[in-house]
Amino acid sequence: MPVITYVQADGSTSVVDAPAGTTVMKAAIANDVTGIVAECGGQAMCATCHVYVSTPDSSSLGEISEDENEMLDCTAAPRTEQSRLSCQLVVQERYDGLTVRVPEYQV
Amino acid sequence: MTTAYQEPAGADVTLDELYQDPYPAFRWFREHDPVPWIPAAGRYLVTRHRDVVFVDTHPEIFSADEQGSLVTRVMGHNMLRKDGAAHDRDRRAAEPALRPRIVKEHWTPRFQQNADDLIDGFIENGSGDLFRDFAGPLSARNLAAIMGLRDVADQDLQTWSQALIDGAGNYADDPDVWARCEAASLGVDAAIDAVIPYLQANPDGSVISAMLHADEPLAPDEIRANVKVFIGGGLNEPRDAVGVAAWATLTHPEVRRAVEADPTLWRRVFEEAVRWIAPIGMYPRQTTQEVELGGRVLPAGARLGVCAGSANRDETVFERPDEFDIDRPPAPHVAFGGGPHFCLGTWAARAQVAQIALPTLFRRLRGLRLDEQDPVRLGGWVFRGVLNLPAVWDA
Repeated sequence: MPVITYVQADGSTSVVDAPAGTTVMKAAIANDVTGIVAECGGQAMCATCHVYVSTPDSSSLGEISEDENEMLDCTAAPRTEQSRLSCQLVVQERYDGLTVRVPEYQV
Repeated sequence: MTTAYQEPAGADVTLDELYQDPYPAFRWFREHDPVPWIPAAGRYLVTRHRDVVFVDTHPEIFSADEQGSLVTRVMGHNMLRKDGAAHDRDRRAAEPALRPRIVKEHWTPRFQQNADDLIDGFIENGSGDLFRDFAGPLSARNLAAIMGLRDVADQDLQTWSQALIDGAGNYADDPDVWARCEAASLGVDAAIDAVIPYLQANPDGSVISAMLHADEPLAPDEIRANVKVFIGGGLNEPRDAVGVAAWATLTHPEVRRAVEADPTLWRRVFEEAVRWIAPIGMYPRQTTQEVELGGRVLPAGARLGVCAGSANRDETVFERPDEFDIDRPPAPHVAFGGGPHFCLGTWAARAQVAQIALPTLFRRLRGLRLDEQDPVRLGGWVFRGVLNLPAVWDA
């Protein structure tokens, strides 16, 4: 099963087993990872599951859709080239070893 | 530890007490009995922040499709009272009209025009009730535009909205309320039917147009039911956010100085206002199975009142929760709900209130201050806000 590491702004980490087919957001919620709020439950409508993807090859995570792109303009913490909405990252086997950074705040 | 249902202390709170000021009762419940059975409301109230979030994020356990729902009775079956795929179909059809980019590019200039037109109409008076003359009609005018309705008077939309809300809460079965509701429903249907042929042939950015031209288009009766829920639930929220935020700003000089120096802070004023006094204070859910919540075992079929107004004052999430403080550490309030029913109008509300209504009001009405002769009143717990906002300014 893919393993995902969430790194908080203070440097603490959570290592989570994420079955293929779930999302990086849902895996965080299911494991009580702090800092992923996900107000809208995964509809790309709230911008409160923002993460920074620190793996260099972020293209392997799939393209940023138009809906995700406009919502990333609404994040509370600054958008960078590493910004993604974790609700739009559907876990696949190749996500194994993925590390995401959780912003200091989501609202 | 869990407890079986028993009549808890504090459950004799009356609906009138909650209407006048629900926050002392909410505080007591959060501390002593976080999911109390309230006979007067016929519901268990969910009062703690973490339990409200749990309900919002577990729609398979806490259904929005309440049996005997009065919302469904007065408006027709709509997305607010649907679950799962049926809900998602309706919502996805409306969503393109309400996403952040179209709000910014298409609706925000309309919101600005509407705000300026209203202020032009009363600025020379030097005084007025900003709830009656600004917050209410502005919200109506913006809502009509977003829906795609044309030639609907501000007052008609406000009357329809109130009638539908009153019908949705008509547990006393008052025949006068049903009659007003029926008249409102006919009025809304006529307004929708008047624009459908045009929008069918000429798509625009509006909600009705989006519903007509969705990948899975909605039928006219589905559009009528869903537009009614937007009218019942999309008018007083921005209205009350404007009213409460303006009142809070006028009574907190340090906040006023801050926003006048840096207008981007209006966004913080808006978020803190809807946290402090959530415009939708309570919304219903019904359990689909036995479930433990807040230390109480609820049977299947239990009716719940999910109290966003209480969760937003939960002292485990917000320090000094009864204070209006735009500098409090960021923490997620639940004024927009959460999960599948997360407010579809969130971005439209942020734009029309925080970007347009509040900055325009305080910029244009010089020397704006409350009218000391006529105190501001508040009311409500299902919906809560100021009931008037008498003010004077330099004409």
